[in-house]
Amino acid sequence: MSDASASQDGLRQRAQGMIERAIQRNIKGLEFITAPKPPVGLTPKDVIYERGTLRLYHYHAQSDEVYRVPVLLVMATTNKAFVFDLAPGQSMVEFLLQKGFDVFVIDWEAPTPEERGLTLEDYTQDFIPNCVRKVQQESGELDVSVIGYCMGGALSLIYAATHTEAPLKNLVCLTTPVDWHKMGLNNVWQDQRYFDVDRLVDTLGIIPADFVAQGFEMQRPAQKLAGQVRVWEQMWNDEYVKSYRVFDRWGNETLPLAGEYMRQTTKELIWDNKLFTSELVVGGKQVKLASITAPMLTVVAEHDHLVPYECSKPLLEMVGSTDKEEILLKGGHVSLIAGPNAVRRMWPRLDAWLGERSI
Amino acid sequence: MSKESPPDPAANFREMVTKWERGFDSLANQVMGTEGYSRSMNQMQDLQLGMQSMFKEFMTQNLTNANMPTRDDLVRLAESVGDLDRRMARIESLLEAMVPSNAAVGSGPRKGPPRTKKPPSAKAKGSKDGKK
Repeated sequence: MSDASASQDGLRQRAQGMIERAIQRNIKGLEFITAPKPPVGLTPKDVIYERGTLRLYHYHAQSDEVYRVPVLLVMATTNKAFVFDLAPGQSMVEFLLQKGFDVFVIDWEAPTPEERGLTLEDYTQDFIPNCVRKVQQESGELDVSVIGYCMGGALSLIYAATHTEAPLKNLVCLTTPVDWHKMGLNNVWQDQRYFDVDRLVDTLGIIPADFVAQGFEMQRPAQKLAGQVRVWEQMWNDEYVKSYRVFDRWGNETLPLAGEYMRQTTKELIWDNKLFTSELVVGGKQVKLASITAPMLTVVAEHDHLVPYECSKPLLEMVGSTDKEEILLKGGHVSLIAGPNAVRRMWPRLDAWLGERSI
Repeated sequence: MSKESPPDPAANFREMVTKWERGFDSLANQVMGTEGYSRSMNQMQDLQLGMQSMFKEFMTQNLTNANMPTRDDLVRLAESVGDLDRRMARIESLLEAMVPSNAAVGSGPRKGPPRTKKPPSAKAKGSKDGKK
């Protein structure tokens, strides 16, 4: 075959590919626009405890035998826990179940107006300890491993530091903020000279989900539009579209926050950095991270724009655990725990670390 | 002869989108990361909250004049129901706390597969020991 005819074949093939994708884009684009919300959180589970904003799930086992120590995942208060269980094959919960873990998850619903007075005390001295007790009862085991994500990690840290007698076998913190003065843009926007958190909380009671979501989106203002352009270009690619839709749904379902909780986290954590300086007092107990002695794993993302690495970095040095490890992975705040990056990088590392310590 | 996948003509477009996104975000972050931006953003927010507060007062007054329950009245009602719920939960927790947590241990898992799984490293060690 001559060079000229090979080149013609190549061009023909390329043109054909472009036409096929353009047709697919139009057909699937219409489906995309009219399709209902994608189903999420499909891994079978039971709701074993619910109280106001709190839900505790127990997932059905997917292996013939499980590790002795059950695992309790604590979700951040700003978002739904289905990020741990986006879709079959894209689910951290499903992965852990198949690896032989007995998985429990703390999820949050939007707080109701009468829950506007919830504080860190409620989350760390009531909700989490109660859930740990429920996990003990359900599993028949005394020990429990806790995995906290983002603010869920901070709540888990406060719980662990104020319950030194807790049956905590292992503690895993995923992108958990500790030094709140390294929060980047958040520190500028919530500058106490200009941000009147009292007025905000006193007026609204419950901080609306839109306000919370705006705070996230403003950090990467082009992300949403760029994502939409990318999905249009990839419309022919079913896997890409499926993944985009579940992430998009998760991003759109940000939760409102209890006003008092917002006031307390703003003043004590963001402004006064009391978790970092060990001056935080919750439920009459001083929160000293040095009092945490359970084996500790902290997983941080190199390109996390919401909780920058510098913000989580001091954690390992601050805890009193002797068995402790930090894993720094490529990726961002969400891609660390869900999506192809997590499947390849984070989940296997978590399984290896936790499996060794769950017998 | 191996069949090569057709070249992706959209690769340049994707790269362009990524570059635009990074450039725009970086520029926006520079602008929004200033003290001036923070001040004006928060001033705008205060203004909105002030208007919302005024509107709320106006509505409350009108509802009271019309002898109708206000939002605060309904929240108070929900709160008392919530209080009852929390009291029940506290009683439940206290009852559970009275049973020693060790009581649950030893009785084995209430349902599901046996809790006997070992990590791969322990299995490998076990089989090595077995061979000796």
